[in-house]
Amino acid sequence: MTDMLRYPEVTQLAVPFFIAAILIELVWIVIKGKGGRYETRDALTSLIMGAGNVASSILLGFIAYGFFMLLWRITPLDLGASVGVIVLCFVLDDLRYYWVHRFGHRIRWVWASHVNHHSSQHYNLTTALRQTWTGTFTFMMIIRAPLIVLGFHPAMVLFCGGLNLIYQFWIHTEAIGRMPKWFEAVMNTPSHHRVHHGRNARYLDANYAGVFIIWDKMFGTYVPELDSEKPDYGLVHNLGTFNPVRVAFHEWVGIWRDVRQPGLSWRDRWMYCVMPPGWSHNGSRDTSEGIKRKHLVQHPEDAGTPGFEQ
Amino acid sequence: MPLVILLPMVFFGIAGIAVLLHLLGLSRPALLGNQAEARAAWLDEFGEDTPTRVILSHDHRAALIETPLGNGIVWPMGADTTARYLTGAQITRTATGLRIDLPDYTAPRIHLTLDAAEADLWPTLLKDPA
Repeated sequence: MTDMLRYPEVTQLAVPFFIAAILIELVWIVIKGKGGRYETRDALTSLIMGAGNVASSILLGFIAYGFFMLLWRITPLDLGASVGVIVLCFVLDDLRYYWVHRFGHRIRWVWASHVNHHSSQHYNLTTALRQTWTGTFTFMMIIRAPLIVLGFHPAMVLFCGGLNLIYQFWIHTEAIGRMPKWFEAVMNTPSHHRVHHGRNARYLDANYAGVFIIWDKMFGTYVPELDSEKPDYGLVHNLGTFNPVRVAFHEWVGIWRDVRQPGLSWRDRWMYCVMPPGWSHNGSRDTSEGIKRKHLVQHPEDAGTPGFEQ
Repeated sequence: MPLVILLPMVFFGIAGIAVLLHLLGLSRPALLGNQAEARAAWLDEFGEDTPTRVILSHDHRAALIETPLGNGIVWPMGADTTARYLTGAQITRTATGLRIDLPDYTAPRIHLTLDAAEADLWPTLLKDPA
């Protein structure tokens, strides 16, 4: 077995590139007067969230890695470490990313971790770094288990996951309009991902892809960016704080407050954890389906158009 | 990457970008140009609760909103805005206006810069009729 595989820690090695790219985007926006927006406290919060994400990976990464190494010891399969296997691992890990990301928007327990990535009303390269501090507690490492069991070494899987995140950095920009058609057809792009960050009813719960947009097209969650409707970035209810601790933990606090409401059944308490964001036991809030439904009542002409097809 | 390299790079990278943004004048809070913009900012957050009355602060940095469901505030979040109802709010006079403490983990405290007349008047208007 290839027990001693080692790969570079690509997300840490990419930090100088991240800083340089942010400066280039900023200079571009300032000189051109278009292509996005920056605001000091928003960007600072995003960058601190990114640093916190690296810190939490260093502090808590051993939990996921220990779990993966346990699986690696159990599995009889070992696909080796050839270039072809790494490429296959990258593609399958991107499929894994699609589903983890989709769960991240459809299961409130996972959303509690992911929500901070959507909490900026801006969409620039710093937004890419506004990452979770609490990913370990979602237990989504389980979705990677099949890859390990199939014989992909844990170090390779994590290496591919790091490359995946680095790819996603550059798509968090308004400075790039659209890429060539063939590229837009296969790859996740700034245009596709702007849709994902939109709080417009049309764009909710769309474009979960990491690297390959084909997963959204395969699983019915693809919505194109419409020239007629610019994405409005942020959360359905935007935060009123830049405090990174509150940004990181606010949805966990929300879950805690909801499950402790008096008079709830145990089923209701469970549902507050696992149902989509916006679910409530008395229907007093809106999920994304409810928001879309209400939008169509106001704008019936949108029925059947992208984002309102079901 | 060794922490002795990573940590200073992250620290100085973040600090440098923040200072640069500030020097470029990108720290200015949002302005609510008129009542229509304040109304739109409210509806961005609470689209089903149309304001019945909008009162802009003298510096156009905040707006008091009255709606059928209760009173609320629109205020800047950096270059953008957000809004909250005032249910359960504690209002305190400060040297520069008012401080509103909300029982909301996502918006625990709002500092409003108001002139003396506004600071006297707004607390009476902010009281939720509900």
